[in-house]
Amino acid sequence: MAAQKPNMKTLDLDGIFNPERIAMIGASANPRKWGFIILLNILKANYRGRVYPINPREASILGYPCYRSLRDLPEKVDMVLITTPAKVVPDLIDECGAQRIPYVIVITSDFSEAGPEGAALERDVVARAEKYGIRLVGPNSMGVFGSKTNLHATMPPVMPIHGNVSMFSQSGNVGVQMLAWGEQEGLGFNKFVSSGNEGDLNCIDYLRYFAEDRDTGVILGYLEGIEPGANLVAEAKKISRKKPILVFKGGRTEAGGKAAASHSAAMAGENEIFRAAFRQSGMVEVKTSQALMDCAKAFSHYPLPRGNRVGIITRGGGWGVITADFCEENGLVVPPLPEKIIKKFNQILPKYWSHGNPVDLVATISHDPYPECLEILSRWEGIDAIIALGAGRRGFTYRYSKDVTGPQEVMDAIRMASTFIEQRNQIPDEMLKGVRQLIVKSKKPIIVVAIGSEKSHKLNLADYQVVSYPTPERAVRVLWQMYKYSRFLNSPQDERKF
Amino acid sequence: MKIIEDALKRGAKSLSEYESKLLLAEYGIPITGEAVVTTEADAVAKAAQIGYPVVLKGSGETLSHKTEMNLIALNLRDDNEVRSAFRELTSSTRAEVKEVLVQQMVKGDRELLVGMNRDIQFGPCVMFGLGGIFTEILEDVAFRVAPLSRFDAMDMMNDIRGKKILDAFRGKPAVDREKLADILQAIGQIGLDHEQIAEIDINPLKLLDGKPLAVDALVVLK
Repeated sequence: MAAQKPNMKTLDLDGIFNPERIAMIGASANPRKWGFIILLNILKANYRGRVYPINPREASILGYPCYRSLRDLPEKVDMVLITTPAKVVPDLIDECGAQRIPYVIVITSDFSEAGPEGAALERDVVARAEKYGIRLVGPNSMGVFGSKTNLHATMPPVMPIHGNVSMFSQSGNVGVQMLAWGEQEGLGFNKFVSSGNEGDLNCIDYLRYFAEDRDTGVILGYLEGIEPGANLVAEAKKISRKKPILVFKGGRTEAGGKAAASHSAAMAGENEIFRAAFRQSGMVEVKTSQALMDCAKAFSHYPLPRGNRVGIITRGGGWGVITADFCEENGLVVPPLPEKIIKKFNQILPKYWSHGNPVDLVATISHDPYPECLEILSRWEGIDAIIALGAGRRGFTYRYSKDVTGPQEVMDAIRMASTFIEQRNQIPDEMLKGVRQLIVKSKKPIIVVAIGSEKSHKLNLADYQVVSYPTPERAVRVLWQMYKYSRFLNSPQDERKF
Repeated sequence: MKIIEDALKRGAKSLSEYESKLLLAEYGIPITGEAVVTTEADAVAKAAQIGYPVVLKGSGETLSHKTEMNLIALNLRDDNEVRSAFRELTSSTRAEVKEVLVQQMVKGDRELLVGMNRDIQFGPCVMFGLGGIFTEILEDVAFRVAPLSRFDAMDMMNDIRGKKILDAFRGKPAVDREKLADILQAIGQIGLDHEQIAEIDINPLKLLDGKPLAVDALVVLK
């Protein structure tokens, strides 16, 4: 099967993600069918190529003329999508083969996921595809997305923002929902594939393709298992040197070998071995979907920290303390400020500032020394990254002005306060611009934490390329992952075998 | 490899301790000085050769829980002690002992475990962790997929909670990490080279002046 395929040097899957002409077998005029819904998604998203619906019983669907079969198309297509019932798929593969179609995406389910009969049908489909040299996505795939041609060939109507993150997912649902979630978070995607049953192309093929793809900066993967002998460690080890692979592994509960004679086998659960494989190959393993999103944002927008030393800047003591504690508990270091840096802060800050790291500016309401202090901190060579607490725009204070009634005196006061706060809210916009500039200048990641302003994170990312989270704990976890990956990149490429 | 083929031919499910260690020694893993004997006179002769004190163990592939079966005589200091231990082991009613292993007595200060198992998806994997009785109690182990690079082997040692056990400790030197890395890489290579081996335990791997030494070993065949 797929694992036995020759290990080609480059795997060209452009025709799957950026095809210029596609046909859809199983296109339907019935809005309750995937053959209608996927077609609608493709059209609605302004696909830049040409689509040919194939359905012998309809003259046109959604205003597009229908064709009886692949043979009747006016031009050759790069890729064919299939949404017909499972039993006709083998013959359709023959038709694709006769028309020399290089790529086929089988959305249709009822294959190996449905039992032995489906499995036999799937083997038939895969064997026929192999005979013609067709590369197959699925079966049982929820579709693909490609930003270059605006191809949104997915079952749900997700409209991802365009970016440099590419994702493969062994669960269609998890995958498309990550795309939708990214939309809310301001995270842009370049390519996506729901790998389905992986009858032919499997997650390691997609990994290898994304690794060579110039438009992909960060690879995301949702993984439940790999084919025996697939050599994930060796492949991912090479790829991780080029770009980060963030991976979320589902199905982590299986215990170790039950009937084993040795400790080594009895204690080796699937979870432990996957964890080892990820660590060995420099893959960034996250334990939650939230962490996958958080890491994707930072890895796709920020330089990596060169080490694990963190500078913390805060407007109030408590959050700084919490952040420092969490850093130290998670393998990051919060080094003390040297005298020369303290002197610089002394020139700007009131006497009662913290005189240490975390740099606590203590609440000042008139002049905001934050941007200046952040710049001083970013220039200090004693740290590799910064967590900037309260640097985001519009904290909870701006809710002040809404929906309040009361005596005239109070209303006047609120209006004055609101005006003042509005003015202050202009400052953070300037500050976020400044944060981005400091990141570029210092080549250090500066992660912003804006507590209680859950809606601002998308704008911070989209408008300023500044990564922010609503809690310091999430910021620390992301930094720790970045540090670990950076350490992997700096580890010797010593593959000396035994 | 002949040891493995012979064992498979006679239908054995695992190699004896002695055979297991011969296999390890082929891959440069340091093992205790030892010999298999069948007579009392030979036991005494080999004991003198290895140097006192020695250990006597009932030998054979069916005898994998020697402690529980009381088939181990520790810390034998002279010819007389070897003689009486030999007689006792070979007359044991708990198991039929035809062969006896005469082995160098190692008073190592720390016990580690190095092992190999096969994962359905990843193939041979190496395990490293705390050995002896702590293996089961603390379950403090780390895994790596074979083949291990030098970096993997070194990194693996820091991947257990009890990694301090490898540092200098109560006047004893720190473990020779280079030697330990050799062993971790070697055990992965054994897994890659020999499809017929299902599992391996080196437990304990003791530290003798910081040098790791395989004191007991079990090679399970497929």
